[in-house]
Amino acid sequence: MMPFDTGRPEMNVEEFRLLRDFVYAYCGILVRDDMKYVMQRRLWPRLEALGLTDFGSYYRYLRFDAQRRPELETAIEALTTHETYFFREPRQLKAFSDEVLPVLERRNARTRRLRVWSAGCSSGEEAYTLAMLLKESGRFEGWDVEVHGSDISRRVLAVARQGEYGPSALRATSADQLSRYFVQLGPNRVRVRDDIRALVSFGHHNLQEPEQGSCSSRMDAVFCRNVLIYFDTPARQRVLRLIYEKLTPGGYLMLGHSENLINLSADFELVHLRGDLVYRRPELGGWSP
Amino acid sequence: MSEEGRNAEELRYRALLALDVFRTDARERLVEGLHDESWRVRRAAAGGFARVPGRAASVERLISVLGERDETGARNAAAEALVSLGSASVGPLVRLLGHVDPDQRKFAADILGQLARPEAEDALVSVLLEDGDLNVRVAAAEALGRMAGRSGARALERTLNDVEPLLRLSALESLAALRQPPPLSDVLPLLNNPLLKRSAYRVLGLIPRLEATELVCRGLGAESRSTREAALVALGQQAALTAPSLRSAMDVAVSQVLQRLPEASGWVASALESEDLELRAGALVVAAVLRSPKLAPLVAEVAQEERLVPEVMRTLACFGPETGRELLASMGRLSFPAREAAGQVLVEMVDASFVPELVQMLDWGELDVKSVAVRALGRTGSRDAVAPLAQLLSDPEMAALAARALVSLATSHRDLVLQVLESALEGGAEPAVLNALVRVGGTAKLPLVRRIASQASVSLRATAVEVVAAVDPVGGLELARSALVDESSSVRAAAVRVIGQLGDASMAELLARALADSALEVQLSALEAVGECGALERAGDLESLVRHPDGAIAFRAVRSLARLGLLRDEVLARAVSHEDHEVVKAALQAGADRGGGEALALELLGHARWDVRAAAARVLADSGGTSSLPTMLAALSLETDTLARRALVDAVERLSGR
Repeated sequence: MMPFDTGRPEMNVEEFRLLRDFVYAYCGILVRDDMKYVMQRRLWPRLEALGLTDFGSYYRYLRFDAQRRPELETAIEALTTHETYFFREPRQLKAFSDEVLPVLERRNARTRRLRVWSAGCSSGEEAYTLAMLLKESGRFEGWDVEVHGSDISRRVLAVARQGEYGPSALRATSADQLSRYFVQLGPNRVRVRDDIRALVSFGHHNLQEPEQGSCSSRMDAVFCRNVLIYFDTPARQRVLRLIYEKLTPGGYLMLGHSENLINLSADFELVHLRGDLVYRRPELGGWSP
Repeated sequence: MSEEGRNAEELRYRALLALDVFRTDARERLVEGLHDESWRVRRAAAGGFARVPGRAASVERLISVLGERDETGARNAAAEALVSLGSASVGPLVRLLGHVDPDQRKFAADILGQLARPEAEDALVSVLLEDGDLNVRVAAAEALGRMAGRSGARALERTLNDVEPLLRLSALESLAALRQPPPLSDVLPLLNNPLLKRSAYRVLGLIPRLEATELVCRGLGAESRSTREAALVALGQQAALTAPSLRSAMDVAVSQVLQRLPEASGWVASALESEDLELRAGALVVAAVLRSPKLAPLVAEVAQEERLVPEVMRTLACFGPETGRELLASMGRLSFPAREAAGQVLVEMVDASFVPELVQMLDWGELDVKSVAVRALGRTGSRDAVAPLAQLLSDPEMAALAARALVSLATSHRDLVLQVLESALEGGAEPAVLNALVRVGGTAKLPLVRRIASQASVSLRATAVEVVAAVDPVGGLELARSALVDESSSVRAAAVRVIGQLGDASMAELLARALADSALEVQLSALEAVGECGALERAGDLESLVRHPDGAIAFRAVRSLARLGLLRDEVLARAVSHEDHEVVKAALQAGADRGGGEALALELLGHARWDVRAAAARVLADSGGTSSLPTMLAALSLETDTLARRALVDAVERLSGR
């Protein structure tokens, strides 16, 4: 028992495995064996909220209660860390702005249409950041541009749609960016400006259920950063297959800085940009940059 | 690569993925792919061998590719393919260990290491001890580090005395990888060897004994950063392996060394920020002893690595109350996991002086930050915390938490809390507020609750029905009867739950209607209520629902029948064959509870689900009958699942009196 956990129920190994397997079957998220404590800690508030005294009862609640579906989504949300903020991983964002966007501008000059997907967008900071970068590039004035954010958690999507944030979300945002893209609501609260919000849409998407996805268009670029970490290898491969199918040939895939596709997929080619390494769906056809 | 070249590569890649593996030339096409200039094509080719019929022939052909000295890419891809072919590769690779060319032998050892098949262990041990080529022996040592075998570990220990430092290093690393440390006396001399000491600390970390900790602590005082870091890594490993009751002795050992190291705070800070997880784990152990508030945010950031969260919490707990403000001040800069850890600690250490900062945190957008602030405000005991919490009672996401916090504050400010809860209810607050009001105000608040039960929103009406029942059973039952005809299924379900908890068999007729309700929510409540209030007349309805495909309905039907004492053998048999394993377990338990469930449990020892087999083993253990022992031992010999196996072992030990 940890010092701060006094009086709260312990999760036994069998309860852990039943819960872990159930969560995995639902959405492919793998809670590793060494994360029993994390699962226990994250689900304690749920037991408290539901008035349950042990994790076996919670498991049966998830399986058999009339409210099981929303509760399962709440549980998934508790188990996945929504670590996100504006302008996260600036090196990759700079490479995207300086090197990928010019390519996409040339490629799509005829259709004047651009689609970017922020997969696992959490509370929306990444999707809005991408919209800000598109705006800032000045390349797509008058184009049909959309950044689509998706997440498995409906609660974080509600926050994303609201577009209001506090200091923690802005910890990598410069004063200049703050004044250009946000409206101050109070000393500790800002809202994303309407012209940026107009470029962004959000939808619910369990990445393990491709047919239920919220984005129907083919994407020119996909940001799927720090999402694959939640899945085991087969589930990661399913997600990558989905992304591959959603990308236009020649479209780009951006992963988190510590992620790669080694031993996961050879469908994508590695592209050495000056500022970063990204992946791309190979292209068959006559287009050349 | 030019666009033309890229397209050609993509075509070759696609062609290999689409290759018909039953073609007579399929294997040679893949071999050709192994030699492609593109790594993507080579990988596609390597992956293809697992689909080609005739694994033995593929293995031989791949081994021949290993012999092509100038074709590095092809050889690596062939090695990858051999790994993917699994056990079929082992025999030929073991034979390759005897090849005249040391380069081939090394390749064989490397691939066998990746395969990690126990049948190759003896051959690798021989190579480790007898091969004439150092590189081959090193490869064998590394391969044995992935085998987890005893004979391999013993051979590696023997190699620690070899004259070749590189071999000793590989052996040490492999023993560390196997988590099989050699005796402390064997490690001691290696700590002074510059080449070996880092690995020696690694194995020392696997020995959770105070003597080993004291040795590791010596390394903390080393001038060389790499030695210090190796010692930190070892400390982290020891902490993970040491029982909580022995941690204080470990802390004392660390503390004694730190007294002589005033600069420790600096290098602990950089270790906490390192990319190396093991190093961070060790730094936490030292930080817990240093207790410098400035380290607290860095410690909290280590929570980004979820495996280290328990150690982060322990460390922050060691820091003491003065850390609270340091954490509060840095909340805006912390990552989500760090905020989560810091928040948990903060909640425990706040007092009335924290209220202004906590109130400011309520303005933040992040729900997790707000939640911490709300919980912490509830623990400040301050009157000033009541008003900001009251403002959250109409917020659906925060109301329950705020209401709980207000209940905590009511111990010192009861009247004020009651006042804000009542005002919030008048303004149409969330159900949690109603609960809180009754918890703080008791039966005196029942008239208000009754009024709400007849007038308010669906969620408030449903809560009111249950709240009245909790404090006034007679009135609660009366209210529940009338709520059974409410237009909202949530209110009806709440009423059924109350009838189940407070009612008696005379309610059977009312529950018949609830069982046939169109809303699943009401049906599920009714299934539970029938068993709870002893409505025997409804047994027939329950029996027919045991075969219901929805596990939720079948599960409750089985449990209610068991509770009524009316679970007939044929119904039990039906439940045991249900597709949902939880229904099967419910039936198994019901059979055991009514007595004579051993036969069923024995049968279920062969069930496809591990948890059913484990439950069956527990039922048999509880039954106390030793006649099932032979069957259980037979099941144990076949059991491959860890948890089911543990349950069987426990059961066998209990029954055989061991």
